[in-house]
Amino acid sequence: ELFQNIQVQKEIIANIRTKPWPIRRKLKVLKQAREIVLKYEGRLTRTRGYQAAGADLLKKISRVLYNIVVLFIPWEMRIKKIESHFGSGVASYFIFLRWLFGINIVLTIMTGAFIVLPELLAGAPFGTTRSKTIPKDHLASAQDLDTIWSLGARLSSLIFTGYLQYSVLFYGYYGNVRKIGSAGYRLPLAYFMVGMAVFAYSFITLLRKMAKNSRMSLAGASDENYTFCWRVFCAWDYLIGNPEAAESKGAAIVNSIRVSISCIQQTQINLSLAVLISLRILANILVLLSLTGSIYIIYFVVDRSQKLEQEKPELTLWEKNEVSVVVSLITMIAPSAFELVAQLEMYHPRTSLRFQLARVLVLYLGNLYSLIIALLDKVNSMSSAVSRNLSDSTSYLATISQSTEDNLSTIIPDITERQNSTLTRTLLEMQSLLNHTVLYEYNTRSQQDPCWETYVGQEMLKLSIIDMIFTVASILLIDFIRGLVVRYLSDCCCWDLESKFPEYGEFKIAENVLHLIYNQGMIWMGAFFSPCLPAFNVLKLVGLMYLRSWAVLTCNVPHQQVFRASRSNNFYLTMLLFMLFLCMLPTIFAIVRYRPSQYCGPFSGQEKIYDIISETIANDFPLWFSKVMSYVTSPVVVLPALLLLFMLIYYLQSIARSLKVTNSQLRLQLQNVSYSKLNIIMMYFTRLQAPEGSDKKPEQESDITSMESSARSASPPRRNGSITNFESPVRHGNSIRTITQSVSRPDIPRAAGATQSPTHTYPCHMLHSLISRHSGYLGSTSGSCRSKSYHNMAYKPCTRYAENIHSDPLFRKTLRPMHTEPAVITAQSYVGHRAHSTRYVIVNEHEARKKLMRSNTRLPRHYRLADEPTEIVELYPRNVKCYIPRPPHRSHQPHLSEEEEEEDPKSSTRRGSFRQSKRPRPLSDRHQTTQFYIGDTINSQLSMEQGLYGDEEEGDQEEDWVNDPQTNIRGPESAHRYGEPYVKPKTKHKVEPSLTESDSASLASSSDQQNSSTDQYIQVIHNKKKYLKSNAKLTKTKSKSSVKLNVSGTNDLVCSNV
Amino acid sequence: MYGCFAPPYFPHTIIKQLHKGNLIANSCLSSLLRLFHRYRDLALQLVPMDYTNQPEVRLPYELIGSMPELKDNPFRQRIAEVFSEDGEGNMTLDDFLDMFSVLSEMAPQDLKAYYAFKIYDFNNDDFICKSDLEKTLNKLTCNELTEDEVRMVCEKVIDEADLDNDGRLSLEDFQHMIMRAPDFLRIKTI
Repeated sequence: ELFQNIQVQKEIIANIRTKPWPIRRKLKVLKQAREIVLKYEGRLTRTRGYQAAGADLLKKISRVLYNIVVLFIPWEMRIKKIESHFGSGVASYFIFLRWLFGINIVLTIMTGAFIVLPELLAGAPFGTTRSKTIPKDHLASAQDLDTIWSLGARLSSLIFTGYLQYSVLFYGYYGNVRKIGSAGYRLPLAYFMVGMAVFAYSFITLLRKMAKNSRMSLAGASDENYTFCWRVFCAWDYLIGNPEAAESKGAAIVNSIRVSISCIQQTQINLSLAVLISLRILANILVLLSLTGSIYIIYFVVDRSQKLEQEKPELTLWEKNEVSVVVSLITMIAPSAFELVAQLEMYHPRTSLRFQLARVLVLYLGNLYSLIIALLDKVNSMSSAVSRNLSDSTSYLATISQSTEDNLSTIIPDITERQNSTLTRTLLEMQSLLNHTVLYEYNTRSQQDPCWETYVGQEMLKLSIIDMIFTVASILLIDFIRGLVVRYLSDCCCWDLESKFPEYGEFKIAENVLHLIYNQGMIWMGAFFSPCLPAFNVLKLVGLMYLRSWAVLTCNVPHQQVFRASRSNNFYLTMLLFMLFLCMLPTIFAIVRYRPSQYCGPFSGQEKIYDIISETIANDFPLWFSKVMSYVTSPVVVLPALLLLFMLIYYLQSIARSLKVTNSQLRLQLQNVSYSKLNIIMMYFTRLQAPEGSDKKPEQESDITSMESSARSASPPRRNGSITNFESPVRHGNSIRTITQSVSRPDIPRAAGATQSPTHTYPCHMLHSLISRHSGYLGSTSGSCRSKSYHNMAYKPCTRYAENIHSDPLFRKTLRPMHTEPAVITAQSYVGHRAHSTRYVIVNEHEARKKLMRSNTRLPRHYRLADEPTEIVELYPRNVKCYIPRPPHRSHQPHLSEEEEEEDPKSSTRRGSFRQSKRPRPLSDRHQTTQFYIGDTINSQLSMEQGLYGDEEEGDQEEDWVNDPQTNIRGPESAHRYGEPYVKPKTKHKVEPSLTESDSASLASSSDQQNSSTDQYIQVIHNKKKYLKSNAKLTKTKSKSSVKLNVSGTNDLVCSNV
Repeated sequence: MYGCFAPPYFPHTIIKQLHKGNLIANSCLSSLLRLFHRYRDLALQLVPMDYTNQPEVRLPYELIGSMPELKDNPFRQRIAEVFSEDGEGNMTLDDFLDMFSVLSEMAPQDLKAYYAFKIYDFNNDDFICKSDLEKTLNKLTCNELTEDEVRMVCEKVIDEADLDNDGRLSLEDFQHMIMRAPDFLRIKTI
């Protein structure tokens, strides 16, 4: 309906951006389409109008929202600026950083909302419980900040033994009350769940991002056949806007091209293999040594700090922060060492970069792991100490109670029997009192043992802080100071500082990204024990963003060998995922393995941390639920579920593998097919060459009409040649593109010896369809045929939309330019090329169906085409005129006959049947048009084929007037003006059902068609051919009887209608 | 964001109309105005503030090519030529807006591929042939490659991307090739 028409127009508007036209033309088309939309939107029914208005409103709102969202994307301008200076490689680091920032924000919200806030609001206030009070001996040092000499020390002391240790920052602060506040918030449960949710969320977001990336890369990097092409055409980063960056980019391009040349030539490095191998082995040994060394150092330092702690009551600043400083130092220094080592190896730069990254990652992981293992070791010893304490205390208790009992028992005999009962009561009271005091004593003693969870959290936080300090320091020292020195001292130095030794610091994307990953790993590792760690990380990342971007813009030069951001995207993400997994392991291990501290934290008093879940299920859920849970967690369910999972994984993997195989096979097939197509097409081409010469003039004209851009149509001489001629359809045709690529410039002499009638030589169906596909183009020795095909495809969507559209002349009016022309052209082209068109239609059918979307986008083009030659209404008749007379001159006739020679009996029958079937259609459809059609058929019987269509054209006009009163909306004057285009489709449309249903001869759906008839021009054309096609098919493949049957069927219909 | 390309005439009244008619989005509006001012800033004495009468103003290539967006681009002259109506690199406001709309991040890939082809097609014959490739390479690498290397790379490129073996790349070849390039897909290069 009209609504759909408007939809079409809107799609034109929507897709106009994809058209390679100058802006002026786009605007014109847009304006036109807009006018239509605005004009006819009011004609819709009320509900439709509301719908449209609603959709509009929605669109507007979404646009506004989008704009707002864009506004709130943090650092967008900053990143863009960096991108413009250094290219997208450097920017990818910042985008990655921003992405991590987003993740951390979510983590912070999760922990903040579900753990920290409830504890702050509803938890026991500070100082009320033991875990929330600072022990007296620590209180002194916590308040006595002035005695400590530096801010860092103050900070570290704060974290380590000060207020901060007993704050929401760490695990130990949280109370173990099952429900807090008036609402009964289950804090311990929430703590556990959030701790797990942090990992779950990270996993999910990471995997989703990776899946998205890989989907994108699947779409693109399917085959690596284009190394040189990409290196040439995609090499330049069009975002670069800085001469230095441009220079280095140019150098990088030269480098990469040289490298790939050398890859092709396979020139060996002119070093003997033995030396190379030994060098590489040496390098690897060095790397291994440094790795083990770093791990050992970390372990040693942790061990030492532990011992120091036990020995000395008061630790110096260095001793306190030794561990994290050492770890940070190693993470800073070792990568550079690896880089030096990598120079020994003389790998291909890309390989060496990968090696470097892998080594650095291993180093980081080793650092983290040795740290956490050392910490857990310490935790182990701590918990064993606690248990020893515990056993001590119990024995102490036992001895005390023993002694009291002794005391009491000595007293007992002195007392009379009578008092015995009361005495025993007092005795018991005393005993319990004693017990209490003993317990209290013990408690105060054990309070000094810090809970290990807090300890681990502290270490992680400290590590993170020290790491931040070192990062800032390295940026300032290595980049900034160096940059200053190089810039200002280069004049007074004996060598060129800028190009020789110190140079400017390079921005090492890979290392920096790895550092981010490492940092995130620390956060994940410590998040469970220190809920505020993500929040801290958010701050850190913000700071890092500003500092780095400033440093990059002021004192860095881009890296020479940019690790291609596009490829590395998933590489980085994979590393992050790896990191996440490995950082999750220790936490999970600690949760499962170790007993939570007895006197601090939300899980105190439990045997294991995860007991909270089973406890909650047992206590707070209905009985059936715990029953169900017990079933679910029993091995009976878990094992099969695991098995099922494995099976599923295996199944999916095998499917993926088979899909991959199919993919490669299909690609191979595609190649083969395109080659065989090439041959066949060339045959056709040579066969149809002969008539082309005489067709040149009309060809040109139709070319112009079908031309896409004015520039092209302005230069017809070029298009004259047969070769260029074939290009234009190629441009327009979608699915045919790949084929026609090969067709468009076939070697004529080569194909000259091709067989005369390919249909006969290649009877197989596939080839046949293939040929038929191309006959549309190759058969277009006359340009008209080509344009026809073009229009067919192009207008297909239109017809689709218009399928049920009620006849509306106004709409037609606006569309007219584009419709009339194709109609006219096709009419004549049809005459000339029946034989070709018969086969050709199939393609269109397929295409229309498959590429509906694409052809939709194509629409505006034709639109434009239409408005180019004829923006004035009056032009059309003229066009029609000049086209109508043409067919006879066009010398399609020889061609036609040529075709007919191949299938003369069939074609004749076809023609006959065509006419016959054409007649009944209108009759069945509409009684008003009968007149016309009868006349038409008479004409056709009398005249040649071309004559038939010419007449039909005129007849159309007549019919239009006949129809006018019938269509309700249209006014008389509009009918006069737009009658011609309007009718045209109608008549053809009549033919359509008979075509499609000719086999069954059921033509009943007339009423339906009547409604839809008006907009069917293109379909009409198409259907005509289709009809022929079907007939041809019938005649060819099946017996003639079927055709006759068909014909007779239609005849019957005619009779009945009359 | 569909209407996000520029109207040709820039007086504010028309922009307002367009805006009212929902032809352009808010963000577009500001970017359009910004672009117009950038265009105008290139030659204040040449470009009038009022575009109601659609004055035929062309800025010479020297001015266009000196913009920071283009001045380090080895293909700046080609870009200007492709987008200018006269093919000489002298740009009207329309051409200017056109260029930026295509070079912008939001331009569709098809469009980019099309114009990329135009840019690399130095002799405007709708094919990228060997001479075009050589020019491209020399511009790209600042003539640092030797002749042998250039020849070899050209051969390789044509070998890889030429699907119909006619020794040159048509638009279809080019699109086929470039739409598969990860760089082209992810980082929007052109």
